[in-house]
Amino acid sequence: MRLWKIFALALAAIMLSSQLAVAGPTYDRVMNAGVVRVGMMTDSIPGAFFNDKNEWVGFDVDIAEEVAKRLGVDIERVQATNRTRITFVQQGRIDMSVANMTHTRERDRVIDFSITYFFDGQKILAPVGQYTSHEDFVGKRIATMQGTTSEINIKNLLKELGDPNYERNVISFQRESEAFQALKMGSVAGWSTDSTILLGYAAQEPGKWELVGDFISEEPYGIGLPQDDSAWRDAINFALQDMWKDGTYMEIYNKWYGPDTPYYFPMTDKIEVWP
Amino acid sequence: MLKTLASKNWVQNTILIAIIMALFYYWAFIFEFGYKFDWSVLYTVNPTYGENLGFYLIYGLKVTLQITLISSVLALALGTFFGLGRLSTFKPFYWVSTAYVEFFRNTPLLVQLFFWYFAMPHALPLEMRHWMFGLNYEFWCATIGLAIYTGSFMAEVIRAGIQSIDRGLLEASYSSGLSYFQIMRKIILPLAFRAIIPPLGSEFLNNMKNSSLAMVVGVADLTWQSQQIESLTFRGFEATTAATIIYLSLSLSMSGILNNVNARLRRTTYHQRDILSYGVNILSWPLLKIYLFIKRILWVFFPKKQAGLKLTPTQAILKQILSTTWTALVLMSKMLFAAVFVYGIYLGAKGLYSFNWQVILDNIGTLLVWRFPEGRSDDVFMGLGGLSFSILMAVIAISISFFIGLIVGLGRMSKNNIFRLPCMMYIEFIRGNPLIIVIFWVYFFIPVFFNTFISVFWSATIALTIFTGAYIAEIVRGGIQNIPKGQFEAAMSTGLGYYRTMRHIILPQALKQMIPAIVGQFIAIFKDTSLAFVIGVMELTYVAQILNNRLMIYPFEIYTTIAVLYFVCCYAMSIVAARLERRLTPDKIRLRM
Repeated sequence: MRLWKIFALALAAIMLSSQLAVAGPTYDRVMNAGVVRVGMMTDSIPGAFFNDKNEWVGFDVDIAEEVAKRLGVDIERVQATNRTRITFVQQGRIDMSVANMTHTRERDRVIDFSITYFFDGQKILAPVGQYTSHEDFVGKRIATMQGTTSEINIKNLLKELGDPNYERNVISFQRESEAFQALKMGSVAGWSTDSTILLGYAAQEPGKWELVGDFISEEPYGIGLPQDDSAWRDAINFALQDMWKDGTYMEIYNKWYGPDTPYYFPMTDKIEVWP
Repeated sequence: MLKTLASKNWVQNTILIAIIMALFYYWAFIFEFGYKFDWSVLYTVNPTYGENLGFYLIYGLKVTLQITLISSVLALALGTFFGLGRLSTFKPFYWVSTAYVEFFRNTPLLVQLFFWYFAMPHALPLEMRHWMFGLNYEFWCATIGLAIYTGSFMAEVIRAGIQSIDRGLLEASYSSGLSYFQIMRKIILPLAFRAIIPPLGSEFLNNMKNSSLAMVVGVADLTWQSQQIESLTFRGFEATTAATIIYLSLSLSMSGILNNVNARLRRTTYHQRDILSYGVNILSWPLLKIYLFIKRILWVFFPKKQAGLKLTPTQAILKQILSTTWTALVLMSKMLFAAVFVYGIYLGAKGLYSFNWQVILDNIGTLLVWRFPEGRSDDVFMGLGGLSFSILMAVIAISISFFIGLIVGLGRMSKNNIFRLPCMMYIEFIRGNPLIIVIFWVYFFIPVFFNTFISVFWSATIALTIFTGAYIAEIVRGGIQNIPKGQFEAAMSTGLGYYRTMRHIILPQALKQMIPAIVGQFIAIFKDTSLAFVIGVMELTYVAQILNNRLMIYPFEIYTTIAVLYFVCCYAMSIVAARLERRLTPDKIRLRM
């Protein structure tokens, strides 16, 4: 009985001491602690995923590590999903979320965003040679993920193209991997989300998949930051712009999206740089 | 003076109300929320999306009800079939039924749903797959998967109910010349139903709560819709509260009906009547009248003939022919079943043979411990994950929830309203909601109410603990109620106080009786750890998803492996539970001699 009590008390103590948040301006807190907590995805290839050695790698991971390095602090990596990436920032569980998150106005009402650090657009992935344009998907079922901008965009697209059952034809999964599994199995005709994610998954099985049609929307990615904390936002923005200026950004970009990689995605835009 | 005052009901109620008011006051006026409430998202038209998101919840409720109703009917059919199979003397049928019951009871529903949705279609030919996908596949996959899961629990309930009937009755009815079907219909089933209906009812309730898992295969049920509102507006607190209230009212009304049915089954005379039974009477009145009317008409048109005991020769021949065909039919169906059984084993063996065992071998380490002990400094427990993580969560949850359950269970039985009412509310509140909703509570509510956050591991473990606490409280209550009242009276009259009576007399006996039920609850929590995957905890199911995501082409191998891992752990524990039960109830063993 006594052992149990000690065990329970110790457990409670550990939980309280390790998990209590210190509220306050993020910049000072990060600098004092020497650690920045970054939320990243686990299912987005090549944004942030687990490789065959179970290491967490990807474009977002490298960007986050570079930002932390420039701030002169260590990085604590936190797993986030489409569902948790915004809630974590709201709750103060993480200091920034580098989680291929599109900067939208609805999201900007609850958290803040850095400048755009990546330019993506939404497309539809389908088996090679079966579909040629968006119109071909009318009346077909399309997979996407719950809680993403892709979900809203694809519903709007199907509605515009005149699909009366657009609500039922869009199947929203919890994760990217589940959507891809559904596509592979054939239970959906296509999978629609940001094109780099689609490329990442398609590259796992070269020659079997293709992107159909034009971009459905533009998806500017921003780093999610706590609301109303401009000192912290400035620090992140300056770090991103410095990375762009001295070429580190393009190095990381080419490592993951360059012509020699399976995920080739040409850089078409330019990060906003303030003089 | 104080003691007599404290035993008055009105004093207790006043204190309770005062405490609630104080808490309400604290959170309403003094506490600074880091979160701004906006309940209007639930009933006004959202300007960004141009839709009233409250309707989403109603659509979700409709889907939840559909899934619940259809899967309940299917599960009852499956449960009856395999429950009888568990009692059958025809061996292949018995084996199939046992395998069905044990396998589906001892693996998590979530893994089963993943298997049905993501792995099973790979085994089918392409045309059949496409035909299936055209039929609202997500919905049917979730519904049938749920029915198969619930059916395995119902089979056990039905088997236990039929077995609880005295053997002597069976022998008596056989010796009075009734046939098997007559015995079943007239003697055994009517009696068995009395034993079966109460636990069957709680299976229906569980089935409704489990329908919340349909969200993982993309079915837009109530939980899914509440999370949809969350992801559209980031109002997790409001959306989850709304879903909670809907689930709670659904399960409270269901358990109200069930309690009424149970009370009717127990009742022999008609003097106790409450509001619920009046409600049922009023609702069932027209049905009853229609039934009586039809029966009467049938009686008018087809009066029962008095048949003679002696058969004419034609009748005798007819009877002979009928009975021979019947025997032949039974034999044929048995052979057919055996053939299907052998074919099933052949298919299974073929499937196992075609498995890529190397993949399983390469990744079993990852499934068991993830990347322990080579984790980075920012990983929890040195990169632990997978099966050992699930076990860790289950162990922490059961050990803490045992104490919660003990205290709440005792509080629930207290005569003092100050303890009884909050404990009762806790139990009903938790038991009225699906675990997935409880996980979302902890995840959304703790940050709002305490201005702090906890890691996903701890929020999932706390959710499991709170959830299990309510169930253990009910086990504790049952255990204590089983102790004869004389024991309390004897202890009290020897001058022991409440604490010492409980500590030295009642609890030691009651706890001993509760152990099998608690082990059963432990199995349930262990299976439920798989739900923590929705908020991204590195437990077995999530690790399997990550692996599947990377390997891409071996879903069958991976889902089967994790199903087997879960099964081995749960089955081992359920054997332990059965052993304990036999050892702790010695009188049952004596009966067998």
